Amino acid sequence: MTAAETGFDLTLTEEQELAQRAARDFATEKVLPRAAEIDDQGKIPPELLREMGALGFMGPYVPERYGGSGLDALSYALIVEEINRACASTGVVLCSHVSLAVDPILHHGSDAQKEKYLPKLARGEWIGCFALSEPASGSDAAAMRTSARRDGDSWILNGTKNFITNGALSNVAIVFAQTDPAQKRKGIAAFIVEKGTPGFTVGKLEKKLGIRGSDTAQLIFQDARVPAASLLGETNEGYKIALSTLDGGRISIAAQAVGIARACLEDSLAYAKQREAFGKKVADFQAIQWMLADMATEIDAARLLTWRAAALKDAGEDYILAAAEAKLFASDVAVKASRDCVQIFGGYGYLKDFPAERHYRDAKITEIYEGTSEIMKLVIAEEILKE
Amino acid sequence: MKILIPLKQVPDSTVRVKVAPDGTSIVTEGISWSISPYDEYAIEMALERKDADPTTVVAVVTVGAARSRDALRQALAMGCDEASLITADTAAPLAVARALAKVVDETKPDLVLCGKQASDDDQGFVGPALAELLGWAHVATITKVVPVEGGVELWREVEGGHEVWKAPLPALATVHKSEKEPRYPSLPGIMKAKKKEIPEKALSALGIDASGPTWTILSMEPPPVRGGGKILKDGDAKQIAEQLATALRDEAKVL
Repeated sequence: MTAAETGFDLTLTEEQELAQRAARDFATEKVLPRAAEIDDQGKIPPELLREMGALGFMGPYVPERYGGSGLDALSYALIVEEINRACASTGVVLCSHVSLAVDPILHHGSDAQKEKYLPKLARGEWIGCFALSEPASGSDAAAMRTSARRDGDSWILNGTKNFITNGALSNVAIVFAQTDPAQKRKGIAAFIVEKGTPGFTVGKLEKKLGIRGSDTAQLIFQDARVPAASLLGETNEGYKIALSTLDGGRISIAAQAVGIARACLEDSLAYAKQREAFGKKVADFQAIQWMLADMATEIDAARLLTWRAAALKDAGEDYILAAAEAKLFASDVAVKASRDCVQIFGGYGYLKDFPAERHYRDAKITEIYEGTSEIMKLVIAEEILKE
Repeated sequence: MKILIPLKQVPDSTVRVKVAPDGTSIVTEGISWSISPYDEYAIEMALERKDADPTTVVAVVTVGAARSRDALRQALAMGCDEASLITADTAAPLAVARALAKVVDETKPDLVLCGKQASDDDQGFVGPALAELLGWAHVATITKVVPVEGGVELWREVEGGHEVWKAPLPALATVHKSEKEPRYPSLPGIMKAKKKEIPEKALSALGIDASGPTWTILSMEPPPVRGGGKILKDGDAKQIAEQLATALRDEAKVL
């Protein structure tokens, strides 16, 4: 009996395998050799993103009619793991662009909005970002202060968004704003705002612990006037759009965490097999073997949770619980794997000359952005208690 | 122009090859497979022609085990137009060349580009043998192909420069390298490849002569484990140079 006949099949399809392989080859040959430089310079070479766009990575599950690749969410998760195994900075540019900018337009945009934005975004000619967080509202998104006021055939946006991944790089931002404070969540609307809109500027860039190659910017709106046609969904749907977008985004952050954890394991294995201490290879010590065994097991478990969440999304089923579990678990696995990776490398793990310290700095963010681990537990608890 | 590339699926270059218990083959269980690197260059070279002239048709074919279908799918995802598979668990190199000659007779390409050798056995046999069977012009180890009036120019790297040969079509060349590195399959390319049929025939059903000179592998052995290096540090530069020369002559036997 084959796995398929049992009805429980973890085999990737031929095109999923091809996508994984294309991403792995590209990541190994083009991204990995530049990862240390990207981290050090705090900048991703633009041609790298252009090449990723040309290969279809910037719109993997956008239908072909909108210029995308027409693959599925699982293929996207495979690509995200491979790119992040090489470089988490490049990886987060990809994750934010696809999951947080392309995805809401694909799922909530009008035909005109899809035709206008998706081809450019899916080919990576334009980069997108998601502007929800504010100086005083992160996890508590409904407390946002950015406002949108209707004025004839336009909306006038005012306020400041914080911690916006790709904020400086992006050509287009999905911006959430309060249209009617009395309505609270029901008053929040989403807008597609193009770079160059008068009154819309990029503020300061944050200096970060990790994922230093991706920009994290403040976006400032001062009487920024956008056409009524830039409203995404209905005026009362913004909060719903934000939450459902983040549900999907969590799958990609889980895949990112798996990629970072895999980098930790692969680099640790290579180092432990070559480094000697007390007359034998470091890998021959059981203390090190246990760390490696834990890493391998936890990475497999995190990957399976991630694949399950992606497969549920592809099947059109509810994936909120699965995505939150995957993100909670995988980010924890990545942080632990990176800590052990530094430990296995010993003193060299603390040096910039080796990749371990970069993994250590990059891993931590996966427990924070797109919903902290504490928010993941809230989501999971709500899901399992609601029956 | 129609270009045909016979390709071979080989163990991926990252695979650590192990000799199987029978002592005459390698362990193939669980290893990953790739298109042989020189065949990838041939594909890239053909696709560069297609980029320049979209009417170019690029076809790939392989004689190999059923798993070789993955290599053909990869070639389609890179941008090739057609693929076909001739299945055979084992085939002598001359039988492979005869099978390919049959494919050439049926599909009538203008140009056949082969990798100059497969990276698994490095024999470099099939390309020239196929040209011989077809009675076609053959230029080996090319780095560039340029269509010109009355045929193609085929460039070869030689010491300090290059040679340019001209051949009438149809012609066969073996490829040393393409101008650009072989492209990655794009995701839209993967989806297009998915929709393409890969027709399959058994080698035994082609009715070709499988006889002829062949060979038998007597034994396979892994290369000897590399010994540790030796550092010469006693004495001044002249003495160390003498020790080095002695070691190279008497121990390493390379002088």
